[in-house]
Amino acid sequence: MNMAEGAPKHPYHLVDPSPWPALGALGGLLLALGATLGMHPDMLGKGVEEAIKPFGWWIVAPGFAIIFAVMYWWWRDVIVESRTHHTAVVQLGLRYGMILFIASEVLFFVAFFWAFFDASLYPNSPEMPVRTAADGGVWPPKGISIIAPFDLPLMNTLILLLSGTTVTWAHHAIVEGNNRDAVRGLLLTVILGACFTGVQLYEYLNAPFGFRENIYSSTFFMATGFHGFHVFVGTTFLVVCLFRAMDGQFKPKQHFGFEAAAWYWHFVDVVWLFLFFCIYWWGAGKAPIALH
Amino acid sequence: MVGKRVLGILGILTTIAGLGVAGGASAQPIVGVPHEWQMDFPPSFTPLMEKVASLHDLLLVLITVICVFVLALLIYAMWRFHASRNATPATSTHNTFLEIAWTIIPILILVVVAIPSFRLLYYGDKAVDAAFTIKVTGHQWYWSYAYPDLGDFTVESRILSEADRIKLKPNQPRMLAVDEEMVIPKGTVIRIIGTAADSMHGWTVPGFGIKKTVIPGRLNEGWISVNNEGYYFGQCSQICGNGHSYMPIAVRVLDKPEFDKWVEQKKKSAGLLPATDVASATAPANR
Amino acid sequence: MATAHGATHDHGAHQHGHDDHHTPTGWRRYVYSTNHKDIGTMYLVFAIVAALIGATFSVIMRLELMQPGVQYFMGPDGTPNGHLWNTVVTAHGLIMVFFVVMPALIGGFGNWFVPLMIGAPDMAFPRMNNISFWLLPPAFILLLMSAVIGGGVGTGWTIYPPLTIQQGAGMDLAIFSLHLAGASSILGAINFITTILNMRAPGMTLHRMPLFAWSILVTAFLLLLALPVLAGAITMLLTDRNFGTHFFDPAGGGDPTLFLHLFWFFGHPEVYIMILPAFGIVSHIISTFAKKPIFGYLGMAYAMVAIGVVGFVVWAHHMYTVGMDVDTRAYFVAATMVIAVPTGVKIFSWIATMWGGSIRLEVPMLWAIGFIFLFTVGGVTGVVLANAGVDYALHNTYYVIAHFHYVLSLGAVFGLFAGFYYWFGKMCGRQYSEWSAQVHFWTTFIGVNLTFFPMHFSGLAGMPRHYVDYPDAMSHWNYISSIGAFLSFGSTIFWLVFVVFGTLLYGRKVGANYWGEGATTLEWTVDSPPPFHTFEELPHVSPTAHP
Repeated sequence: MNMAEGAPKHPYHLVDPSPWPALGALGGLLLALGATLGMHPDMLGKGVEEAIKPFGWWIVAPGFAIIFAVMYWWWRDVIVESRTHHTAVVQLGLRYGMILFIASEVLFFVAFFWAFFDASLYPNSPEMPVRTAADGGVWPPKGISIIAPFDLPLMNTLILLLSGTTVTWAHHAIVEGNNRDAVRGLLLTVILGACFTGVQLYEYLNAPFGFRENIYSSTFFMATGFHGFHVFVGTTFLVVCLFRAMDGQFKPKQHFGFEAAAWYWHFVDVVWLFLFFCIYWWGAGKAPIALH
Repeated sequence: MVGKRVLGILGILTTIAGLGVAGGASAQPIVGVPHEWQMDFPPSFTPLMEKVASLHDLLLVLITVICVFVLALLIYAMWRFHASRNATPATSTHNTFLEIAWTIIPILILVVVAIPSFRLLYYGDKAVDAAFTIKVTGHQWYWSYAYPDLGDFTVESRILSEADRIKLKPNQPRMLAVDEEMVIPKGTVIRIIGTAADSMHGWTVPGFGIKKTVIPGRLNEGWISVNNEGYYFGQCSQICGNGHSYMPIAVRVLDKPEFDKWVEQKKKSAGLLPATDVASATAPANR
Repeated sequence: MATAHGATHDHGAHQHGHDDHHTPTGWRRYVYSTNHKDIGTMYLVFAIVAALIGATFSVIMRLELMQPGVQYFMGPDGTPNGHLWNTVVTAHGLIMVFFVVMPALIGGFGNWFVPLMIGAPDMAFPRMNNISFWLLPPAFILLLMSAVIGGGVGTGWTIYPPLTIQQGAGMDLAIFSLHLAGASSILGAINFITTILNMRAPGMTLHRMPLFAWSILVTAFLLLLALPVLAGAITMLLTDRNFGTHFFDPAGGGDPTLFLHLFWFFGHPEVYIMILPAFGIVSHIISTFAKKPIFGYLGMAYAMVAIGVVGFVVWAHHMYTVGMDVDTRAYFVAATMVIAVPTGVKIFSWIATMWGGSIRLEVPMLWAIGFIFLFTVGGVTGVVLANAGVDYALHNTYYVIAHFHYVLSLGAVFGLFAGFYYWFGKMCGRQYSEWSAQVHFWTTFIGVNLTFFPMHFSGLAGMPRHYVDYPDAMSHWNYISSIGAFLSFGSTIFWLVFVVFGTLLYGRKVGANYWGEGATTLEWTVDSPPPFHTFEELPHVSPTAHP
């Protein structure tokens, strides 16, 4: 509802009807069906199996395509609306929303840390003889070589911490109306994020253990993998902010899109610190080091 | 609770009656089975269950009183303060004394419950001075019982088909009769260590006060000591797939000499005893 | 917040009002909706459809269990198809939890009445509100598919590995179904919390906010913090099943009980998620029909907060029998019993609200009073089960089934129906007919008690859950349960036909406040049904008003 027309007597934003939510949900359905078909091509019978065989894992493409398109259209709408409808009260609501979203993300990671500590704190519990036989009663499990914590992982820690300072630099620049520095800070943050992802990819490709190996590798890849995914999401968010900054869209008093990206980036950063200290460092124990 | 006592006495009577005719190895009375219109726990067959039942008796009284109290207040309020009797509502919204009272009194009730509850919890936890251990393993969909302290033979226990039950054990209930029961001596503390081979299962016998969810890769310890001879039945208590309803737990409790005889026989058929002929002396255990 | 910013922009030049401007008609009105009332209506309709399917599953189960022996679940080879049975049980549980109670109480009534009660023109994120709803039909489709594809999911709603690892492709559909339903609930939770914290009418402090809004606030926090843990757990289940990880596989160093911990860390808050909104609804109804402000308002609000907080630290009481350390079990016994205290505060405060009131026993009040008593019955058996020592005899028996159906079927569902009768006139502008509502209440009341009370006895006698058949001696109580279930189902069909459709077609039209002076919250200040947009001019809440 446009202020010029409707003249609302309240500071809230009543959003216009939109096709994106239902379309996005449809994308979710197609993605779920595609992923299940990818894992079980025979799920719908022989005929369907033959028909989808040539596509392989591309069967998830329609779902992803719809979801990505919806993300683009939806958030484009949000950016357009933000110019006219995001009053101070609406911005406060968006802040609540983002903090709550991050809180739920934290709990998502709790599940993986729980799995990690379940295995790493009790490697030789007398009630679990099969586990003890599997991991030799020690953490990390016997026979596994690990990634040296104070090598690439430490460097990645420093990269992420540094990116936390550059994004703060960008924030201060925006608040002071210095758009040039904001762009610089964001650009640096994005580059550092990409470096982190690159190092992480290198580490994955050269890891001395595979995803399927044992509980160590399962928890390692699951936790760091989901973190890596969040880094990717955060980097994309920052790239959008970079373009918006280059377009001069952030005002000293109105730049919630940037703040949300920065919060998310700090959240990703903090999760990494826990990963580094718990899984890479403490979780390394006395295991032999394979990757320098 | 009177009903339960009566059932308990009945159970003991059947036990005694059963003992009277006990002759062969399979002549134990059928004791631990559900009864028509049963409304309460079965009689307590173990010292542990006696404590479970006694705590439950306390709880049942408490919760009945609470429910009746709440119901009475509701009914009285509905009647006394009905609009036809009380046209003008009061405006009170606070009563500090009442609010403190209905916070403190439930806490006191819970403390009263908690003391025997913790006592029971620790009493039932681990076996003290167990005579021997039985390793219970749940499979899809049968049970196996290993006796590691008595020569390490194993008994596999599968449900009898209806035709076989009628032929072999007609006096045992449908769905509960098995080919080979887990056999134990009466009045003896036995450590139960449960695990599972494929999916989770639940090992329990009503009236024993024990229930062990048995889990692949994990050991789950408990204990039983059954007071009287007889057949006792339970059913798998953790969903485990297609045959979940058809893997009963059957326990046959013997007196000590008969149990020893049974053990000897099992050892012999497992090739664990030095047999009279030399050839079989070195035969490996068949399980 | 008190001054409306937009007011200064009124140019008086607009040609049409809000109602018709951006309001599409036909299917677009709902599919594109950003209106909390339309979305609430869609949630309610969805929940009713899902409830009929879920209830049909329960009737199938009670038909089978009516007599000993296997009546309907016989496989083609002449042996009982226990897996099909387990599939039906699982579908019933998951449908009722995720697609009936949650959508109806939180999505339906929450969407409709939280903005109305706090004087907000809509939800904080109206478009996100719509995806919260629209994620549910795909999730439901996936769940229904999971029951028929790849042999179905016969695991129980708790989906414990390793049984879940053994299931076919349907299990992965069920996992994705829960992912989508979980995403829906998390987004909904963010929306509710933001709405309640940010959009209350001027003068409505948190301590003057209606209890239903409080209940949804607490519920939303539980959803926000519990569901991601389930999402993580089922993601690990998915990779264990399909990508060779070892989270729940002891042979690779994993642990099946890890899943149990994660599941119940979600699952226990989840059961409060289902009951807390009913607490809120019942509070309003008791106050309305006793014509008295709620007794001990702050105590009521903070009792819900306490239940929510403590609800996060009691999860392992669902796992007393899995072999946890005895001191751990002792802790969970103690923590669990603590929950009885705030619950008791609520029960007694409801009674105290009735005390001295001027009570009208209208149909919503009947459901609310029924709720108080039956929830008490379900609650006290919860105290019994909290004692680990007693739980060994009762875990996974019908006693547990009786317990959680008393708090859910007779608790949450009574709360749902109470809310329905209280607010249906508000939502559709027409009032139900007294006779049909009375018939529905009494048949349901008798039916559900007939169904679930005998289950206490079956449970004490040792009848385990998830059983397609039982020893012959257990037939009598099962027969009675089945009769009760048929009565309840018939009552539900009666409700759908005579109360829902009957009211929509022939109900008497009602005004803004058809309950009279007892109904004091803001939704009674707007028309029935309310206009498409409400509170375009924000209401002011007097600092002296009773919440």
